[in-house]
Amino acid sequence: MTVHVASVGMGRFGKRPEGLIDLSAEAAHLALEGIGRKPIDLLVVGSMFAHGPHGRESLLPRLAGRLGLETASGYRVDSSSGTGGMAFHAAVLALETGRFDRALVVSAEKMTDRSTAENTKDLSSSLHVSEVASGATMPALAAIVTSRYMERHGLTSRVCDVATVHARAMAARNPNAHFQKPVTLEEVANSRPVALPLRLLHCSAISDGATAMVLEKGTGPATVLGLGQGFDALRIVDREDLTSFAATRIAARRAYESAHLTRKEINVLEVHDAFSPFTLIHLEDLGFCGPGEALEWFEKDWVGLNGRLPVNPSGGVVGRGHPVAASGLAEVAEVALQLRGEAGAHSIGTRPKIGLAQTISGIASHNLVTILGREAS
Amino acid sequence: MIASATLGLSLCRSCHTRFLPTDGPCPKCGSVDCVSYAGSAVGKVLAATELHYPATGWQAPHRLALIELPDAVRVLAVVDGPTPAPGALAEVRLDKDVYRARSEPTR
Repeated sequence: MTVHVASVGMGRFGKRPEGLIDLSAEAAHLALEGIGRKPIDLLVVGSMFAHGPHGRESLLPRLAGRLGLETASGYRVDSSSGTGGMAFHAAVLALETGRFDRALVVSAEKMTDRSTAENTKDLSSSLHVSEVASGATMPALAAIVTSRYMERHGLTSRVCDVATVHARAMAARNPNAHFQKPVTLEEVANSRPVALPLRLLHCSAISDGATAMVLEKGTGPATVLGLGQGFDALRIVDREDLTSFAATRIAARRAYESAHLTRKEINVLEVHDAFSPFTLIHLEDLGFCGPGEALEWFEKDWVGLNGRLPVNPSGGVVGRGHPVAASGLAEVAEVALQLRGEAGAHSIGTRPKIGLAQTISGIASHNLVTILGREAS
Repeated sequence: MIASATLGLSLCRSCHTRFLPTDGPCPKCGSVDCVSYAGSAVGKVLAATELHYPATGWQAPHRLALIELPDAVRVLAVVDGPTPAPGALAEVRLDKDVYRARSEPTR
């Protein structure tokens, strides 16, 4: 059973006055309008914080009621920062059974009405308790990974600066991105320290936002060609390698195999740069270059809109903003928009035929790879 | 730094993985058939960070290091003192539920 992305709906990411349900409904309505409001029989929602003591519980029934989807089936998925990618995979897998005809996927997060301490604490729930007990946070472990990557390959923190400058240049072309202004290498290198070598502009920002998508059985301009998931040890001390994410390598291998293609056929890439140096690690793990070689791709702008492989034309997580659950679906959405020729000012130079989206959970403990193409394989 | 300092570690009797922290099942195979033993507390710093926004309850700047002990046992430890460079030697001790490390330059 083949599935394709029939429409995409996204509002602006950033500091928004609306609550979670309003943000979700905005994106959902845009996606539903894109298909002429045809009937939906499956609703899949994703949110990392839509439960617990924050008054945001029950996103699924509240959104179903808001959208008039009383007769649809539905469920909510959660895989921390990978939730959006997981929601997409879950909807595809359900449609592939033949039980449903058309799914609405909505992934959203409301974060800016909470303190940084609250967000840090909740985001740390995707880490191991022993790491948190030592005072570690997501940026702390990302810094350990980055430090190890730099040491292993004889690189400096310039790798982080270059990746951020790229992300912000891309985001400046995307009207839905949190950050609308590009930054210079100097601005990045002089931003305040968060977890050295990571500085503020190397880290994704706390944002509000939602992404929605309608998936249908059949083929179209953005057909699902391949899916893959992979897991890795939650604790970084239990991983064999810190400068590469095993979960990405596993997910990519499965996705390439299921799509019956190789990385050479990928024309556009959207990866989950929760921290800007992760973009380089992702490029290497997805097979586009060898270990420690990704910096050259940025230095020579092979990753630009007109480069040999445009990377994160949306601005990525660092440029687009990081409403955590929405990001994973936004990554798939960006590839779909590029394939459908609907990316506007952030369209890559030549309309792509095949694109790949990669999403990570936590410090890359559960990663997902999605390959979309203009034609079914 | 005391080269002969020791630290309590765990050994999985099923797959022979050695690991820290000692609580919980084997991180490799999930077996709970693990035994404690005393191993060297001195290892090499693989990576470190200086954290300016640590988790609640810790003061900034808060330093953490990933340290590799003999037999490829790795531990994430709070660093007492300046941020160590990769490759530096560090001595690890258990302080209540938290591993702490003190480092000195390799030369």
